Amino acid sequence: MSNTQGRPARPRSPTRRQITAIAMAAVTTASLMSSTAYGQSVDLSQWSPEYIRSIAGTETYDTAGHCASVVPLDYTGRLTYWWTGPTEASPQIEHEINDAFWAAWAETYPNIETDAQNIDYNQLLDRLRTTLLGNAAPMVIRLQILGGVEFASKGYFQELKPEDIGYETADFWPGAMKSVTWDGTTYGVPTNNETMAMIWNADIFERAGLDPEAPPATWADVVEYSKKIHDELGISGYGLVARQNAGNTPFRFMPQLWAFGGGALDEAEETPSYEQVYLDNDGTKAALQAAYDMYVRDKSVPTSALTNTQNENQAPFIAGQLAMMIAHPSEYAKMVDLAGQATGADKEVADTVVENMRYGLIPEGPERRAVVFGGSNMHFINDEYVEGGFDEQAAKAIACFWNSPEWSTKLAWTGSNPGNLAGFKTEWMKERLDTIKFLDVTTSMLPSGIPFPVIPEATEIMNIIVPDMLQNVLTERMAVDEAAADAAAKVESLLGGGL
Amino acid sequence: MSIATGQATRPLIGQVAKRPSILSRVIAHRTDYLYVLPAIIVMLVVIAFPIYYTIELSFFRTPPNLQMRDKIWTGIDNYRTVLSSSVFHEVTIQTIIWTAASTFFAFLLGLGAALSLHREFIGRGVMRALLLIPYVISAVAASYVWKWLYHSDFGVIGAISVQLGFTDEPINFLDNRQTVLASLIVVNIWKEFSFAMVMLMAGLQTVPDQLIRAAQVDGANAWNRFWHVTFPHLKGVSMVTVLLLMVANFNSFIIPFVMTGGGPADASHIWITHIYQLAFGRQQWGIASAYAVILFVVMMALGYFYVKALTRGDEARAG
Repeated sequence: MSNTQGRPARPRSPTRRQITAIAMAAVTTASLMSSTAYGQSVDLSQWSPEYIRSIAGTETYDTAGHCASVVPLDYTGRLTYWWTGPTEASPQIEHEINDAFWAAWAETYPNIETDAQNIDYNQLLDRLRTTLLGNAAPMVIRLQILGGVEFASKGYFQELKPEDIGYETADFWPGAMKSVTWDGTTYGVPTNNETMAMIWNADIFERAGLDPEAPPATWADVVEYSKKIHDELGISGYGLVARQNAGNTPFRFMPQLWAFGGGALDEAEETPSYEQVYLDNDGTKAALQAAYDMYVRDKSVPTSALTNTQNENQAPFIAGQLAMMIAHPSEYAKMVDLAGQATGADKEVADTVVENMRYGLIPEGPERRAVVFGGSNMHFINDEYVEGGFDEQAAKAIACFWNSPEWSTKLAWTGSNPGNLAGFKTEWMKERLDTIKFLDVTTSMLPSGIPFPVIPEATEIMNIIVPDMLQNVLTERMAVDEAAADAAAKVESLLGGGL
Repeated sequence: MSIATGQATRPLIGQVAKRPSILSRVIAHRTDYLYVLPAIIVMLVVIAFPIYYTIELSFFRTPPNLQMRDKIWTGIDNYRTVLSSSVFHEVTIQTIIWTAASTFFAFLLGLGAALSLHREFIGRGVMRALLLIPYVISAVAASYVWKWLYHSDFGVIGAISVQLGFTDEPINFLDNRQTVLASLIVVNIWKEFSFAMVMLMAGLQTVPDQLIRAAQVDGANAWNRFWHVTFPHLKGVSMVTVLLLMVANFNSFIIPFVMTGGGPADASHIWITHIYQLAFGRQQWGIASAYAVILFVVMMALGYFYVKALTRGDEARAG
């Protein structure tokens, strides 16, 4: 097609006008790139425990002063907010920080009437789904990293990016921003990001004849160590978790799957398309076989793994009946709490466990070292689905306050990391590193983090299909190949619009 | 205040009664209808609308990236999918086993307890109170307690069986496809037998003492007295109790959901937990609705027999 309209054809060499335009574009691009670079709080390319320590405590922030520029502190309004906060299983310090947050919030924005509900992790999604159907949802919700895309794709969430609440996109992990992006639009702000680590009891390792200071380096080592511990001491080696319909299961099984080169889809690849199913590839089968070997062949993991969540692993671990498990950095604080509550002979055992607790990187497999890039995101719900209507200023105020470098760090105290990367520079981050043992280990797993597929079907795949596949193998209802093929067929059907 | 009268329409002896029209009967009983109107409105809102909506949804597909209002019409495909699914067949068998075993044993235990407590003995009041505890205790709390009693690694029952030398290692109650359903049924029976006991104790009050004594004088032994005198008087209440237990068991959710979530590998799913998983776990609202409609039809059939059993005496008296 041509639009020359009789004029002579355009010469091949650029005109002066074109050269000017190209130069302008280059300058603008460079300027944008440089402002992004300057805007980024930390240098992710240098990420290491040493780097994290070197930047901690280098900057101070005025949370109220910053949020006042987003929403005036005397704003009068109403806020409804749901999130999953501290539970009975959380260490005491999490409860104290939670109380301190709400006290600070009430002091900073005294005229915003707030109805905040702390809802159990396994119930939050169901409750949101139900209330959305009845237009009775809260204005603001903080959801697990896996949960948001389903609602964004259905049009329940408002567009929301860090810039809307006074921060920059570059202040958040790129992987985290990916998890709040659907169809090219940003629908949330990452509140915290977490990766887990391998915890082990050095005393049990020593008694079983293993090097007490060396965690299993590979998943094959995990199988071997678990068997050795069980055979030598008669206790469980690795804290396998395989309950159906529970988020805990994929968080602990997917790192194993990815390490062997498996996956639900191609989420572990550099540029995932989320269209290829990996559940029946050799990597997935190898991971399933390893789980089978531990549960069925060696019986070296808790028999109750099929009905357990991670919470049920805490008691045997503090009682010295479990040697290894994958857990958050908060597990150490929890164990210290539990040891503090123990009495008599139990106290002695618990103190020995705490003294011998060690954190190491999650083992690697033939393909990679991997961990679930977890965490939570904050979302604004569209006005028509909110009970009593959406109060934009109140919502922005809580989002600014919660995601500030200060509270983003404090609210992630023992279990996670600040979503706002500027939090890593705060005095509170320095305090965390100084007081929380092993925090640098779990934090240094972040670059190995792989987010779950950012597709609406992700919750069903991760919370239902993957645990079902694992259970089918562990109960010997299906052979490894059959279970992998069954799960892959279910995912393919689901992605194809079927059941 | 006017008193609506049944008297006015009642025929005199010897006269041929002309049956009044429905409209005239409604008008005659207008005050009665006004009394029940609030209840009917509430029922329409909280029962009729959900039933209608579930039936409607059962004809639609609800993909995870679409809101409910954008659902896709599929006709009877959801019913076809449910009925042809191998998991549905497996879960149906489990539901039948769960319902039949729970109902039968809860009734049997309840009957035994009611007969025992019907006799005079020291401490009868205390025993009655103790046996009622499972019924009044929260099902969620009971499920958690039983979960720990059954725990495959650290459960009390497993530990005792090892200590007494019955088994070499703790019994695997819940993490085994072969034993999980039976283990849950035991919990359900424990939770429900008190209900049967209370119902049957009430029924036993209606058995005339004279008949029992007469049978005793005639030389009937305990079994014959029970079988030929007591049990016939308990027939009505037994029928109602069994039907109520069956309905409760078909709809039972808390025990399997809290204790196992339907696992391991679907071995303890019953219809209601499976429907819940399809709806809330997988957001297959259309399929779950079709499933729920099937359950509703079964419940209606049981309800029909329940009402028949309840009104049998009335009909006999009226006839």
